Amino acid sequence: MAKFQWLQQKDELGPLSQLWHSFRQQHAAVLGLILFGFFALIAVFGPLITPYDPYLQNPDAVLLPPSWDDAGDVRYLLGTDDLGRDQFSRLIKGASYTFGIAFMTALGALLLGFLLGVLAGMSKGFRASAFNHVLDLALTIPSLLLAIIIVAILGPGLVNTIWAIMLALLPQFVHGIRNSILQQLEQDYVIAYRLDGANNWQILRYVILPNTWEQLTVLFSMALSTAILDIAALGFLGLGAQSPAAEWGLMVAEALDLIYLSPWSIALPGLLIFVAVLSVNLVSDGLRTAMRKRQES
Amino acid sequence: MIWYYLIRRLFLLSFVFFALTCFAFSLGYLFPGDPLVNFSGISQPDDELLPVLVQQYRLEQGYLQQYLAFLQRILQGDWGLSLASQQPVLHEIIRVFPATLELVSYALFISFVLGVPLGLIAAIKANHWTGRAISSIALLGYSLPIFWWALLMIMLFSIGLGWLPTSGRISVLYEIPVTTGFMLPDILMSGQTYWQAALQDAIRHLWLPAFVLATYPTTVMIRFTRDAMLSVWQQSYIKTARAKGLSRSQVLYRHGLRNAMLPVLRQLGLQFSTLVTLAMITELIFSWPGIGLWLLDSINQRNYPAIQGGLLVISSLVILVNILLDILYTLLNPLARKQVHG
Repeated sequence: MAKFQWLQQKDELGPLSQLWHSFRQQHAAVLGLILFGFFALIAVFGPLITPYDPYLQNPDAVLLPPSWDDAGDVRYLLGTDDLGRDQFSRLIKGASYTFGIAFMTALGALLLGFLLGVLAGMSKGFRASAFNHVLDLALTIPSLLLAIIIVAILGPGLVNTIWAIMLALLPQFVHGIRNSILQQLEQDYVIAYRLDGANNWQILRYVILPNTWEQLTVLFSMALSTAILDIAALGFLGLGAQSPAAEWGLMVAEALDLIYLSPWSIALPGLLIFVAVLSVNLVSDGLRTAMRKRQES
Repeated sequence: MIWYYLIRRLFLLSFVFFALTCFAFSLGYLFPGDPLVNFSGISQPDDELLPVLVQQYRLEQGYLQQYLAFLQRILQGDWGLSLASQQPVLHEIIRVFPATLELVSYALFISFVLGVPLGLIAAIKANHWTGRAISSIALLGYSLPIFWWALLMIMLFSIGLGWLPTSGRISVLYEIPVTTGFMLPDILMSGQTYWQAALQDAIRHLWLPAFVLATYPTTVMIRFTRDAMLSVWQQSYIKTARAKGLSRSQVLYRHGLRNAMLPVLRQLGLQFSTLVTLAMITELIFSWPGIGLWLLDSINQRNYPAIQGGLLVISSLVILVNILLDILYTLLNPLARKQVHG
């Protein structure tokens, strides 16, 4: 129900502060944001704080359990892997790989998707129709299948899978951006602005963009969680990052033979992937709820 | 009106298939190695065979002719030989594809049976602790990396507790003749004396992969149903129905659920390709002999004709499911029928 809110300061805030106001009231979303910031910091500054070189092999300390275990060693906080490399350092290094590269990939897909989405949204007639059909095709090829094909053409490797994931993320960006632009173009204020003599570029710059950036943020956060999961999955399948990279999915795959000996070396990298994706999803959900609340008020 | 819509969809379908076959054809040139080998799967054609193949594949002619020859071969069922086994690719696909379909359909079944009611409860009791708990669990399940989740389940149920087997569709003790390719119907039709034991064994093998694969679609169903129901529940026709004196369950079923399921149906098509991706990973972990495992093996063996065939089959499946769901959505939703041009 609409209430009189004359005396509340909330309405005098700008759109961004209003959004932050209702975002802050969701504890889970704030927790997600803190975790997200934590992962981002680790991804950037991680290499500076690792206690050991993530690739340094110590033959005297092989397959140590985490330090709280009776057989553990306090110098290796989370134990070591089968080559005597420090798990803790490798997990920190993995944040730059899995989380950092996923972020870059999603960002690249966002920029490219934005360009194509604007082109698709602003064009009409046959061009728009043909574009839609190609998009429909691209949306149907599963991302892993696309990655398999790209890897088959270019060979396995992290860079090639980045292209594959970017291509796989692209259609949903183009789709989302195109839809929100079309939705904006139907609004009365766009028509009014057009009657004032604004051209396409001005409409895009001054009316549509300011009204779609929230949509962009939500699209980006959804794509980021997909990108993290995809990079980890491709690393796990041996198509993405190659040994000895400390990518979390690859670390799970390498520990697969040791599933009886050291279950923690499977559990820990997977847990980090899970928490990273969870933090992104929490922020994404919180953003959407905050946007809905702001539009209702 | 509806015919016009169907014809448009059919046109779209044929366009998409055209683009897909173009893409699959160009792979023959994009993959490393000789296009002739990539198309035919014969790794070292001898001097007698070579001119015949060049003639048949029209390799000395232009790309358009080659594409037409490719299309003809696809329609005739000549999909080349697998480089690894030298068996026809199409036969191999027919052998492995039902296993994937079986796994995916059980997972989808579980996700419907669990996801829709849970999503409804989450929407109706949105501010109650049950609703919050369901939403939180759905968010957790949505964030799980499937390979890790599968390994955790294996560690718990197979290694830790020893209840369920870790790999395959059925124990090697039982010999089940393949008629449909689907394990459970095959066992029922096999007429073997041990069919009850075999059925039990197959179901024990099915539990873990189906449950692991169902996690993602179930959480997606919960989230979509909850969101759709929440927005439907605020519509005026719900208030009208309540004001007319209908009971809560009547409103829920007749006015709420029917309207809420429409957007869910729409979203389901988009999620199907993710589901197929997850099915491929699940198959690898549980050694489920489906098309995903077969494709992942093919990439390790650089088996290009198999990758080409796998692309065609999997993409066609996803496209067909998408278009069918789209048609279903239009048939069920009177509002969408008005906007067939859009």
